[in-house]
Amino acid sequence: MSTPAPQPSIELSIPSELGYEKVARDAVAAFARRLGFDRDRIEDLKTALGEACINAIEHGNAQTPGLRIAVSCVCEGERLTVEIHDHGLKHYAGHSAPPRIEHKLSGLAPLRGMGLLMISELVDEAGFEPGPNGGNVFRLSVYRRRPVSAQ
Amino acid sequence: MTSPNIDAELPERIVELRLPSRLGYEKVAMDAASSLAKRMGFNSDRIEALRTALAEAVTNAIEHGNAHDSAMKVLVMLTVRPDELSVTVADQGRKTLDEDQTRLTPRIEESFDKTDKGGWGIWLIRELMDEVEFSTGPSGGNQVRMVIHLEK
Repeated sequence: MSTPAPQPSIELSIPSELGYEKVARDAVAAFARRLGFDRDRIEDLKTALGEACINAIEHGNAQTPGLRIAVSCVCEGERLTVEIHDHGLKHYAGHSAPPRIEHKLSGLAPLRGMGLLMISELVDEAGFEPGPNGGNVFRLSVYRRRPVSAQ
Repeated sequence: MTSPNIDAELPERIVELRLPSRLGYEKVAMDAASSLAKRMGFNSDRIEALRTALAEAVTNAIEHGNAHDSAMKVLVMLTVRPDELSVTVADQGRKTLDEDQTRLTPRIEESFDKTDKGGWGIWLIRELMDEVEFSTGPSGGNQVRMVIHLEK
């Protein structure tokens, strides 16, 4: 209300432990609600984010206790982008090629590789970004659905 | 519990949130905290109490501590222990909270006559939480630590 606001953003970090992805999901959902995203988009985002966090916990951090997952969200105009950072103990998917079955069998790619596929179905953009210090950075974006009638 | 990994035995789990100083973002903290509290086994009454106290603490940080400067952040730290959830809310201290203000007991009769109906937040936090402590954070801002005990 006073000075023009910078792009709305939040950051959070959670223990790399199954179950905590729900806390990240609920926090990001509240952020998206605050920004006026509609319910369906938020549900898609929650499901995708939950999968991405589980991937980071199980694969990126290789279920190592004591590690953390960082989640950052920023809204630029119509687009809400979420980044999931892990420590990159495993690089569980290539930057370009889709996961291959032999990688899955040897543990290099997620066994639940359907997760990545599902994520890409749910959100508008998803993929790995080059991360600092060798960590994995998975980025996903959803666009605000156009209002049906008025603003 | 005989896990060989010492880290796994750490009794604490920490969730950290960094929010912009804009009203409405307290809901992010509230939802994260209730998600965590539910997972810990708190009942819905306690979760509501926690949500209310946290809403007050975060809006205080936004409105007073950071004086609505949305570039300033509110840091919320949720620490999970086996028998309690500890919540720390820290601002960047554009305005420092007066020690006296943390001990006021507002009177409802006086509130009727004032246009500003505020001033109940800290009192409410003290009513709702099991432990409350105001201090100065490591970066010089105001900090409030609130603990809610898990009764089994």
